[in-house]
Amino acid sequence: MKPAPVPFEQLAELCRHGQRRHGPRDALPSGFVELDAHLPGGGWPSGAVAELMSDAVGIGELGLLMPALSNLARQGRYVILIAPPYLPYPPALMQRGLPLERVLMIHTSTLQQTLWATEQALRCPAVGAALSWPACLVDRNVRRLQLAAEAGGSTGFLYRPPAAALEPSPAALRLRLHEDPSGGLIVDIQKSRGGRAGMRLRCTNSDALAVHSSAAAAA
Amino acid sequence: MLWLCIHLPQLRHESQAANAVEAIERLAAWCYQWSSQVNYRLEQSNASALLWVEIGASRELFGGHGVLLKRIDSGLTDLGYTHVCALAPSPLGAALLTRVQRQRCVFTPAQLRMRLEPLSLTLLDMAPEIGYALQSAGLQRIGQVLALPPAALARRFGPQLTLYLRRLLGQASDPRPAWQLPPVWRARCEFGCELRDTTALLFPLQRLLQEFQGYLRGRDCSVLRFTLRLEHHQRPASDLAIGLSAPARDAALFLQLARERLHQLVLPAPVLGLQLEALEFTAPSIVQQDFFGSPAEQLQQFQLLLDRLRARLGNEQVQGLAATADHRPERAWQMSRQIASTRSISALSASSPSTSTPTPPGTSRRPCFLKLDPQPIPPPPHLLSGPERIESGWWDRADVIRDYYVARGEDGARLWVFRDLSDGSWYLQGLWS
Repeated sequence: MKPAPVPFEQLAELCRHGQRRHGPRDALPSGFVELDAHLPGGGWPSGAVAELMSDAVGIGELGLLMPALSNLARQGRYVILIAPPYLPYPPALMQRGLPLERVLMIHTSTLQQTLWATEQALRCPAVGAALSWPACLVDRNVRRLQLAAEAGGSTGFLYRPPAAALEPSPAALRLRLHEDPSGGLIVDIQKSRGGRAGMRLRCTNSDALAVHSSAAAAA
Repeated sequence: MLWLCIHLPQLRHESQAANAVEAIERLAAWCYQWSSQVNYRLEQSNASALLWVEIGASRELFGGHGVLLKRIDSGLTDLGYTHVCALAPSPLGAALLTRVQRQRCVFTPAQLRMRLEPLSLTLLDMAPEIGYALQSAGLQRIGQVLALPPAALARRFGPQLTLYLRRLLGQASDPRPAWQLPPVWRARCEFGCELRDTTALLFPLQRLLQEFQGYLRGRDCSVLRFTLRLEHHQRPASDLAIGLSAPARDAALFLQLARERLHQLVLPAPVLGLQLEALEFTAPSIVQQDFFGSPAEQLQQFQLLLDRLRARLGNEQVQGLAATADHRPERAWQMSRQIASTRSISALSASSPSTSTPTPPGTSRRPCFLKLDPQPIPPPPHLLSGPERIESGWWDRADVIRDYYVARGEDGARLWVFRDLSDGSWYLQGLWS
């Protein structure tokens, strides 16, 4: 017996779905071997929100995302930066392999605008990742952003103060970031949906966190 | 030929336009999206109007006359016009059928004749004395007039009547001037009362935008910008320029953007009228749907996002980043309005990223965060590496001589600091995030 013909639309959906399943969309390799090994799916979750709670600004909390962002941008998806505390420095972004034509920077004047812009960015399927620095957040906000990320298939990275670690949150992934005096970054996985929480690991590597370039070190 | 005739009994009243000609012109432009043959006639001292659209040539394109009629009908209802539609193979026949109660659609001349025969003589569009003469001769139905020998009718009432009857039945040609679209779009509506709230403007605006969309479809073009003008009493009008990052002709999108702008607007005075003006048009950007979701589709979605963000937050708040070739860190970058969206789709999919931007000078590492104004600090106790000498800018009076170091802050942050060699003071300029 001949199988029933599959309508064209359904076939297209099947193919897309298959691509999403097995492609890089499911999880976004972070570029850090230690971290990928402990995250479900082997990388940053797609279609979800991750919270990063850093002890201080300037310990490598942005560098941690750079390999993943640069990967996304090279696949043609956009990276949106919303209300960062300082200027994301374009020459530095380029040195870490992020093509600037895929980067969009948004300034906001109120928390409401920050949240709105983050939600809009996450909802857009062309956006790979939205990085946001909201002044403060409540559960409801995070849940909203989580839904937006699910709808858009993008990843939201929320930078929050360390005090936020004490409160529960609906985010799929929550990481505490500490400075490592020997260079690199110490990451505490506080919550990981579908993975194991309570791990502590050290992210070294990579170009992304290094203060010196290998060329300069050699010289 | 199949003519759709739309009778608009209350056009003048419903349109909110300054005069009936403007109103019917706007509606004719809206109808132009369905057919290239459109014309109209104003009646009864401009209070009502008849609008003809030839749909025989385009009905297959829109999926049959049933679908097309339904779309036109619901479109007119959305625009808020009371209307009666009739369909006949001749323009005069269709106009006559708008005046009957039921069965207003016929498709062939034979059907038209059968439909007309039982109708009353008074429905015919002719001089009153002729009608009176025919009635006093004992004729009551159109069929009875049609049965009379045409030569005798012409001798008695003149050739106009027979020509009219032949045109009515579609036997004689009925040439009409083809109406042309205006080269620019200006639509205005006046309100009966003063509107003090921008939300109240959305309803008339929606109608203006729908008519605008019809015009754009008829011309097969898109716009990049258009202007909304809010008219006040004894005050200069406030203009709202609405720009898009990609050509579009979607009324829903226009409304969304206009709504964002209107919400931010503080009205200086109550609004009496609203005008929509578009002067420049571009070719429509047709995005082909790819089986797997193409870069072009992504670009289109990104442009929609960009428009939404810009409409709410303002143009200056949404920007791209670019590097420039300068050794001074504060000058090695700039904000750019040129985001990938403004490039053509073909260029985007062809070129590999980051080939077009200049690489920053020097190979030394730069921090991810830069402080726009370097912050004076006491001499840092823990220097991790350095120095890197930057001496540049003697030609443009922004001369710098600095030694840059990486320092460790008290909270563990890695700081990018420099010592200004001209006076020996220390500054914090970046963070190794």
